[in-house]
Amino acid sequence: MSGAANDVYLVGGSRTSFGRFEGDDQDLAEQAVRGALGDCGLAWGDVEFAAGGTNGETKPDNLVSRMGLTGIPFVTVKNGCATGAVALGTARNGLIAEQREIACVVGYDNHARGAFSASPARYGIGAWYGATGMMVTTSYFALKIQRYLHEHDIDPRTLGYVSAKAFDYAASHPLAWRRTPVTIDEALDSDMVNDPLTRLMFCSPDAGGVALILARGPRAFDLCDKPIRLAAVELRGRRPGSFEVFSPWLSPGVRTSPSVDAAAAAFHAAGVRPQDVQVAQVQDTESGAEIIHLAETGLCLAGEQAAGYLDGDYRVDGRIPVNTDGGCIANGEPVGASGLRQVHEVMTQLQGRALGQQVPGDPSIGFTHVYGAPGISACTVLVAEGA
Amino acid sequence: MGIQVVDASLFSSLDPVALQGSACVACAAHVFPAQATCPMCAGTEVSVVALPTTGTVWSWTTQHHAPKPPFRTDEFAPFSIGYVDLGPVIVEGWLLGRIEWVIGEPVRLALAKAWTQDGEPVFTYGFESVA
Ligand SMILES: [Zn+2]
Repeated sequence: MSGAANDVYLVGGSRTSFGRFEGDDQDLAEQAVRGALGDCGLAWGDVEFAAGGTNGETKPDNLVSRMGLTGIPFVTVKNGCATGAVALGTARNGLIAEQREIACVVGYDNHARGAFSASPARYGIGAWYGATGMMVTTSYFALKIQRYLHEHDIDPRTLGYVSAKAFDYAASHPLAWRRTPVTIDEALDSDMVNDPLTRLMFCSPDAGGVALILARGPRAFDLCDKPIRLAAVELRGRRPGSFEVFSPWLSPGVRTSPSVDAAAAAFHAAGVRPQDVQVAQVQDTESGAEIIHLAETGLCLAGEQAAGYLDGDYRVDGRIPVNTDGGCIANGEPVGASGLRQVHEVMTQLQGRALGQQVPGDPSIGFTHVYGAPGISACTVLVAEGA
Repeated sequence: MGIQVVDASLFSSLDPVALQGSACVACAAHVFPAQATCPMCAGTEVSVVALPTTGTVWSWTTQHHAPKPPFRTDEFAPFSIGYVDLGPVIVEGWLLGRIEWVIGEPVRLALAKAWTQDGEPVFTYGFESVA
């Protein structure tokens, strides 16, 4: 394999430890970018295009003041949970459209402790919604999974299996945040936050940074022993019938989801099927989200999840290992970095150099999925070519 | 009238209590609270309607920890929030009187004591068990 001219590959990457962080937000970004450059033996001066995002107050494009004023275009992205994937897609498109060869993608955030607080006005909702205690993200997730478990007749204990799996993966991952193993019963019996979701089923906002280096065409194979082809990056928004956070009303009838649309588009663009995927990441803001997203992305059928967790399908030696670095549940969710964490984990799995539990059998097809407010999803398909 | 509510635009009447939504002239989609355009079909012609006052629990959860401000209460106790299927639209609101619910059970609209973000006592809407 030598790489077609308009194929774009991941050739390097790096992530920081996730968790609490005392420094400046951009310390995380710089650490990740220097790590990613070092991973493929490049210097900042080799980078011809950059894209980056954060949900915080700093300006990603000002990273050049730390890295070097090389005059390159640096696009800033702010798309909530989809920030990382949108930055990745922007960099890929930049390489192809402008026929450049090397791009850097970075995402980072350094969130304060505690759940995100949101203002109704920012979402176009009246002040009454916050004043009456309905502007609460945890209650949204609970309402969504409560209905889902009912519609698909899924045992609520499955929620405990999701958490136990996440913490098991994280326990052997050196850069994950929450690395103490948790049993299924411990997850089910921890403090109730919003029925049916307990404290050990939720991820928390925290800090982290991730950077990736992309290369277009044959150059990728000069920089990396095993480049990973970015076979698809697709972003979709909500259509009528989707069930999103901060919704005073829902339409009856057919449910839609931007995750269904983004995943289908990504698989179509890449020319692979969901059943071909050998290692995957799906948005697990809480345990219920992972259950829902496994089916919405096509990785399993709706209703199959309880049996899947029971049978170990999503463990490292299972049918399709999912969130092998512990996902959001164990890494927390620094919004700008989270989607790139997923891509970094799948990239290293496909290269056979996972930091934590390595999926056996030389997996060659990977998938990532993010989902967030106000009803957006982005999915990628990653392919390891050759041997 | 005499009843102070958290937001008058939520209600088409207070006695008897009914919620006010909008219905799209083109596609008949109902929305709550009322808005001037239709997000379902992008239509721009809507009429204001009173929503049905009875329905069934579509989903529910109980809030076990006090939400952050601007939520106000005098003394926090766990409370339930649900989506109630009113027929033409599914509306989110408080579920009143208990903290365990069953999907599909019948409920009806009622007024409930709340506070504005400035701490003024007012009424908001909720749904109570019909049983
Ligand atoms: Zn309409």
